[in-house]
Amino acid sequence: MAAIQDFDRRWIFLVMGVLVTTLYALGIAKELTRSEYVDSYYATIEALPEGSVVMLSADFDPASAAELLPAYTATIHHLLKRRLKVINVATWPAAPPYTRGEFNQIAPLYDAVYGEAWVSMGFLPGDDVAMGNIGQSMRSAFPEDDVTDTPYDELPILADVGDNMEGIDLLITMSAGYPGILEWIAQVGGRYDVPILAATTAVQTPDLFAFYPTQCVGFLGAATGATRYLQLVDELTEGAVEEPKLKNQKRMMVQSWAHMFMIALIVIGNVIYFMGRSRERRATA
Amino acid sequence: MILGLQNVAPSFFTLVPGAPNDILGAWLVCFFTLAVFSFLYRDNPFYKTAEHVFVGLGTAYFALQYYEEGIWGPVVEYLGDRSADMGAGVHYSLGGMDIDPGIAIGLRIIPLLLGLMLLWRLFSPSSWAPRWPLAIMVGVYAALKMTGETQSKLVVLIADAMTPITDPDKVGWSEWTNIEQWNVFFTFSKIVFFVGLFCALGHFLFTYKRTRLLAGVSRIGVITLMITFGSMFGFTVLGRIALLIERVDALDGYKQAEYSLAAAPAAGDSANWMHAALSPPLIIGGIIVLMLALGAMSRRGKSTA
Repeated sequence: MAAIQDFDRRWIFLVMGVLVTTLYALGIAKELTRSEYVDSYYATIEALPEGSVVMLSADFDPASAAELLPAYTATIHHLLKRRLKVINVATWPAAPPYTRGEFNQIAPLYDAVYGEAWVSMGFLPGDDVAMGNIGQSMRSAFPEDDVTDTPYDELPILADVGDNMEGIDLLITMSAGYPGILEWIAQVGGRYDVPILAATTAVQTPDLFAFYPTQCVGFLGAATGATRYLQLVDELTEGAVEEPKLKNQKRMMVQSWAHMFMIALIVIGNVIYFMGRSRERRATA
Repeated sequence: MILGLQNVAPSFFTLVPGAPNDILGAWLVCFFTLAVFSFLYRDNPFYKTAEHVFVGLGTAYFALQYYEEGIWGPVVEYLGDRSADMGAGVHYSLGGMDIDPGIAIGLRIIPLLLGLMLLWRLFSPSSWAPRWPLAIMVGVYAALKMTGETQSKLVVLIADAMTPITDPDKVGWSEWTNIEQWNVFFTFSKIVFFVGLFCALGHFLFTYKRTRLLAGVSRIGVITLMITFGSMFGFTVLGRIALLIERVDALDGYKQAEYSLAAAPAAGDSANWMHAALSPPLIIGGIIVLMLALGAMSRRGKSTA
């Protein structure tokens, strides 16, 4: 028993590493079942008329890109395929490179012209205060865009966007933590009549269930939600996101087995704990 | 993400957006990823190198971003542009009002002064100057939080909690006896939610003596909270393993022949085992494992005291 209790935990790391690598190499991909939250996310975008303006906030960084970038990519495909106008903002300083990178690759596929179909306003420091500022006045928050330094009034996409979120039909956030979806709900959702969608990291997902569907009309919870959404968008775009979809489906398969391993460890750990406790009790009796 | 844009051989070094990851970047990505993972074995010079480079680069990037978005644009450029427009009859919109450049400059100087007052602490730690901007910051933040958060995290959530236990799409209270049409799971989840909420709140009721009844309610409340924390832990594990899988995926991407030290396969030939063996993840991984093993062997027999 003492040997088990003194077990070197590095063996667990090694087994987990080997398990994940081996399963990944096998490359088994499986279609995921649908989910109410993801369906609602998809349906909300589908319900917008062509030409509606969507604010897409990139509130993540490289540390959370593994979970949020697939959702971000799929959302951009979905919005541009539906001919919706996209205003990119970011409240996390490391997000703008992702915004530019993804749009530069995806926008040409849908003939989306910069300044008319999409625009990148860049990063705004200030967390909650910045979000409140964006809600109050886009013009004051972003006097010019981030890519070409064009003044706000000269960008055609912003012609109908006014103060108090006027002209914005939907707000979508890729939320990795603070500031993120909960702050957007507090600073913008509660004050202005704008529906909010979110893609969240796994850590933040449990916080969001309480806000659905009143304050957050749909969300993609973690990599699982992103994979389900990629499946829907792939069908809509006739294979435009097939590569990330297959990759995510493969990842989810590995993820499931890694979870099994974790559950097995928790069960074994508890059995050892209770066996040790009963042995101690017998010894002291 | 788009394969079509990436069907080009990677160059040694490039900053072109959309281009395939360059060869130098591939080796660096593999080195830093595996160096960070090496910490799982024990603290070592590879991990220390990665840690220091990460902190240094992160600090530099964030400092530059905040300087550009917080100082250069809103202060230097803003004041420069407004100064140039003075006397030209140009007006700006602020809070729905038209103001001339002089007033715009004056209004921007106030927060600038407050910012400088905040920095005064560096010269005189006990000075009164930093207290004013701090007081304003606390006041503004409290006001922002109080209004928005009270509405979204209290008022609306309380309203959301007060919902009927039957699915309104199925059957109303007037037909409650028609049990076959009930959405059983909906009703069950609502009852679980109500009991969980009531008991969890009961657990935090400290103003009354813990009677048998209150202790029972509190016990159920604790179980509800533990299930909630368990669910949150489960999601956290989900996130962490997702990060691990993504790193494995990234390393796997650099096993391609284009990044390998082996000579590129001839036209029509496919990559062989030599390309994989001489690829960045395997070479760097091998070197790190070898160095750590040599380190372990040299420590064998030596006292750790």
